[in-house]
Amino acid sequence: MSETSNEIELRGLCRRFREGEREQVVLDGIDLDVRRGETVALRGRSGSGKSTLLNLIGGIDAPDAGSVTVAKMELTGLSERERTLFRRKHIGFVYQSFNLVPTLNVADNVRLVLELNNVPAFQGSTRIDELLDAVGLADRMESYPDVLSGGEQQRVAIARALAHEPAVLLADEPTGNLDDATAEAVLGLLDKLVRDSSHTMLIATHSQHIALRCDRVLELHNGRLRETTSRPQ
Amino acid sequence: MIPATYRASFSYLLRHPWQLALSVIGIAVGVAVIVAVDLANASARKAFLLSMDTITGEATHQVIGGPSGVSENTYARLRVEYGVRAIAPVVEGMISVDGTSLTLLGVDLFAEQDIRSFTSQAQSADPAAPSDETLFSSFLITPGVVTTSARTAEQLGLAVGDTFDVVADGRSRQAELLATLASDASNNPDFLLVTDIATAQEWLGQAGWLSRIDVRVDDGNEAALDQLRAALPDGTKLLSAAGRTRSTVEMSKAFMTNLTAMSLLALLVGLFLIFNSVNFSVLQRRNLIGVLRALGLTRRQLLAMILIEAGVLGALAALLGVGLGIALGEHLLELVSRTINDLYFRVSVTSISVEPFSVVKGIVAGIGVALVAAAVPAIEATSYQPRLALTRSSLEHRARRALPTVTGIGVVIMAAAVLLIVVSGANLVAGLAAVFLLILGFALCVPLCVSFSSTLTAPLAQKLGGTIARMAVAGIASGLSRTGVAIVALAVAVAATIGVSVMVDSFRGSVSAWLDKTLQADVYTGALRGAMDPDLIDAIRNLEGVEDISTRKRAWVEDASGRTQLRVFDIPPEDFGGAELLDADPAEAWPAWQARDAVFISEPFAYQKSIGAGDSLTLPTDHGPREFAVAATFQSYDINASGVMMSRKTYARHYLDDTIDSLGLYLANGIEADDIVAQVENLSAGQQRLYVGSNANLQRESMRIFDRTFVITDVLYWLTLGVAFIGILSAMLALQLERAREFATLRALGMTPTQVGVMITAQTGIIGLLSGLASLPLGVVMAFVLIKVINRRAFGWQIDMSIAPSILAMSVAFAVGAALLAGLYPAYRAGQSQPAIAMREE
Repeated sequence: MSETSNEIELRGLCRRFREGEREQVVLDGIDLDVRRGETVALRGRSGSGKSTLLNLIGGIDAPDAGSVTVAKMELTGLSERERTLFRRKHIGFVYQSFNLVPTLNVADNVRLVLELNNVPAFQGSTRIDELLDAVGLADRMESYPDVLSGGEQQRVAIARALAHEPAVLLADEPTGNLDDATAEAVLGLLDKLVRDSSHTMLIATHSQHIALRCDRVLELHNGRLRETTSRPQ
Repeated sequence: MIPATYRASFSYLLRHPWQLALSVIGIAVGVAVIVAVDLANASARKAFLLSMDTITGEATHQVIGGPSGVSENTYARLRVEYGVRAIAPVVEGMISVDGTSLTLLGVDLFAEQDIRSFTSQAQSADPAAPSDETLFSSFLITPGVVTTSARTAEQLGLAVGDTFDVVADGRSRQAELLATLASDASNNPDFLLVTDIATAQEWLGQAGWLSRIDVRVDDGNEAALDQLRAALPDGTKLLSAAGRTRSTVEMSKAFMTNLTAMSLLALLVGLFLIFNSVNFSVLQRRNLIGVLRALGLTRRQLLAMILIEAGVLGALAALLGVGLGIALGEHLLELVSRTINDLYFRVSVTSISVEPFSVVKGIVAGIGVALVAAAVPAIEATSYQPRLALTRSSLEHRARRALPTVTGIGVVIMAAAVLLIVVSGANLVAGLAAVFLLILGFALCVPLCVSFSSTLTAPLAQKLGGTIARMAVAGIASGLSRTGVAIVALAVAVAATIGVSVMVDSFRGSVSAWLDKTLQADVYTGALRGAMDPDLIDAIRNLEGVEDISTRKRAWVEDASGRTQLRVFDIPPEDFGGAELLDADPAEAWPAWQARDAVFISEPFAYQKSIGAGDSLTLPTDHGPREFAVAATFQSYDINASGVMMSRKTYARHYLDDTIDSLGLYLANGIEADDIVAQVENLSAGQQRLYVGSNANLQRESMRIFDRTFVITDVLYWLTLGVAFIGILSAMLALQLERAREFATLRALGMTPTQVGVMITAQTGIIGLLSGLASLPLGVVMAFVLIKVINRRAFGWQIDMSIAPSILAMSVAFAVGAALLAGLYPAYRAGQSQPAIAMREE
């Protein structure tokens, strides 16, 4: 366990992928500390390894070398099941393509995460009401994803990601499938909710505009991270 | 070179080999069952015709008599007084060697040259065999010499020169194998024992009588036939040999038609399977189709592309199915020939003969089914707009919107089925067509029911098992375009098992009750083949403890319209209750039956001939055709529809035959049946081999034969279920592929592989449950139609329908079990979903 107040600590993180005979080094000795409540933008060209890095932090993938510590939990030595249980409790995901469960309505999509975390039903219902109210979808609880607009779907995804009060929110191009106006609205909402509840957020994006909303901006290039700028105060 | 559009399309299939393989296997099994049943039927039929050809030889006509046959004097008169030369006397009957039944054919070699050529066959079979002359003289001089086919001799473990025991007319006789006969394309002397006519007469107890006289007349020589007819005494007839063979084969026609219908059912389930597969592959390629349409592919080109793909798939499956069918046919042949032997006529067939027509039928069925199944999704695909992406949900919306229309079409088809039953009279094929229409109509109604059930039960699932359970239930309705068809396939297969099981069970119950009522005596005994020894009958009648006896004789009479079975009884009045009279007052019918020229007819016979009590029936007798009053119709489950029950007194007045086949013994109070059985066995030992058994034993044996008859039905519906199982497996794997991203998201959100697996397993279990529940009404309706329409039309039987709850419960349990089993691998695969997939963009 880490003794620091960092929510995320990466040390010497390496990840390689094999394509036939060729080995591609995607992450090559990444070191990173993210403090609790900090929002960090992760930039880089397509294929630079942003999603891979988020996967490693979220416990979806395991590194070839180095260590990942999130919410004071060292993930490197955990089994796949242990990582799943860790992810369930401490990580929230927001995806570019929303990834709502099509067979569940809006409320149930949020409830799913609460149930997985064994939150009692009455508490869960209150939390769902709060969150959907916060994202402006209190009147769409019974709607199914296929009748929602892209912006609405992403707001449900944000509610779902925050429902269980995760330590870290990982967002992968959360506005990539949205038009500018909707993207701005969604981004504003995400930013507000994350800051209001002091969540730590790592957001992979190509957008300069999004990056400027974050406390720090990191660029992933040739498997290495470098800090480019800080969020204007 | 294959156009790029086709390469793009085919490469999708090749990239999903399991989906391709399951589709091919599913339809191949359907084709295999059709080909196998067709080949088994055709082979049995061909073998029978070939053996009839061997027995009939070049004979164009046959002179036949009454139950005793034709008097030898008739033959002598024809030959000597009328100078008819191309005729040959024949004595034919059944015998057994080491428990194997064989046909004994007694011939007169002097008369055989124009009809058959057994001596030349003997030489061709065995190069070391004696010369023609030696064979000829041995055959005539040595009593008890026989010939049979080389194959039958080998099966019986006999070599030329061996002596062996033959059981004929219940007595043991000694035979010697003189030579073996060759089999070729035009001859099949298997299970045929040829001997001199005098030996055959002695063995079969037919001294002075012939079974028939074979006649050869040149085509169109009507004058010769007229001359022959004029020379025949009363009670003998001249019939066409081919016509007699044909009417024997016709007896088994209903059985073979029913088997063909069962095999078509497997293909129908295969049709749902390939529909599912093509439908899914079209849905999966909606983006590719959108791109191709955007690039300029016309609707017609797209339609052709999908249909060609399905055609190729169907052709592949059909070729595989034909191969499987030939292998399966070998196994079915044994079951088919055993049933034909049990119920209709002796057929000896050891291997399948591959009929090109059967193969062509299988290939056409495979390709046809693939094209029909692909037509709907292909037409659907042509409606896709030329754009890059058509969402899954919008497709499901379209599918859901179409549900009321599809259900409406289903209802109309079911109504058409009912109408067809009503207007088609007694036509069996129309009845079977109605069954298929019912299945099709019902199948079209199932998706709407599934959609409703799924939507209605989702909240309940939420309460019972939380959101995961709700997802499992809701996933069925939301993926209805795939799950619906899988449910239909399983439901149809399970409904077929319910229909057939309820029919067999009801039939079994009716037959059991009928036997219980019909078999009134305490002990039954009779000759294994032929008539009982009169002295033995007297001795049995006089056994202490035997109060009374009934006698029975089964005889066949024949005229140009076909064969009729006479069941001749001499029964005590207290046994009258044994026959259930359906359309007459027993108090009036029985005295008429006993005293005057009145008969009872079996229910199937009445149905077939459309006659009943109060009508009359003309039968050939030994004194020429006679008219008999029909006093009543009696209930009967005998497979031979042509049953006429006649009193011994009436029979004696019209037929020169006083032989008795079997006895029913009525015992005094306190006498044990087993004691009398033992005494009858002692009495008959060394005299005549008899079967003897208590009432209970006879009932048991009858039910054993009954059950054996339905083994082939069991095999066919298990194969149908196998196809449905493949359908569920294919659908679940397809769902798993389609929802890979959803499962990956769930894994990313923290669901463990076990939880995902449980969810999929629960979903397949619910699919099984819905299939099982959906199969109940269709199964019961199918059972009703099978019992009241198909059995009636095929065999004329009236069966009381009884539905055992255990059959319904077992069927639902089976559907759930099969679905769960089919869902295991997809559940495992879904559990292994990599959460990282959720991160990737589409």
